[in-house]
Amino acid sequence: MSPLQKRSLYALLIEIIWAAAIIAVFISQGGAAKWDTNADFRLIMDGMWVGGLILYWWLFSSINQRPNQFDERDKTIIEKSAKVQWMAVVLSLVAWVIGLSEHFHTQGQIPVIYLSLIFFSTLIASTLAQSVGILFGYWRMNRNG
Amino acid sequence: MAKIQNRIRKLRFDRYEMTQQELAEKAGCTRQTVIAIEQGKYVPSLELSFRIARAFQVPLEDVFQYE
Repeated sequence: MSPLQKRSLYALLIEIIWAAAIIAVFISQGGAAKWDTNADFRLIMDGMWVGGLILYWWLFSSINQRPNQFDERDKTIIEKSAKVQWMAVVLSLVAWVIGLSEHFHTQGQIPVIYLSLIFFSTLIASTLAQSVGILFGYWRMNRNG
Repeated sequence: MAKIQNRIRKLRFDRYEMTQQELAEKAGCTRQTVIAIEQGKYVPSLELSFRIARAFQVPLEDVFQYE
């Protein structure tokens, strides 16, 4: 396993835990109904996604600083993983647009909380998809060349 | 179908059984990339190809062949 492949695997596990924790906190704190009234809840959620992003950035950026840990093959795989990431983001947004439009079409407006939820979910989908894309890229290269 | 072949494995063993890690360090890539190139699963860039040839101190065409 190349260093980047290992990092991606660790990142994927961390991202799954991170996403599960965000969802668990969101539900346990009262969900969308408590979002506007509970400032602590918003602060915890903001802290969780910012913390997760910093960890994610550290996992992938620290690898570039060591010699012989990252090369052109890894770079090619990362570039290709961007396609998976882009697809995940688009699919996530499409799901939100359809879901929200159907659910709120009679009211003519959407609660502000959904802006944050769209952002969190797109961020989670994007980071998960990058790790999956990298792991898939290695698998495909080892299989097909 | 045309394919790029390489003689890296043979050249390594001709050079006092140079390890994949040693070659990776000399060529400036990861050991996994050396393995992938040896197995024909990855075609390196021209720059990396030259660095590999330089690590063996042979011309490029002694390492890679287009067939």
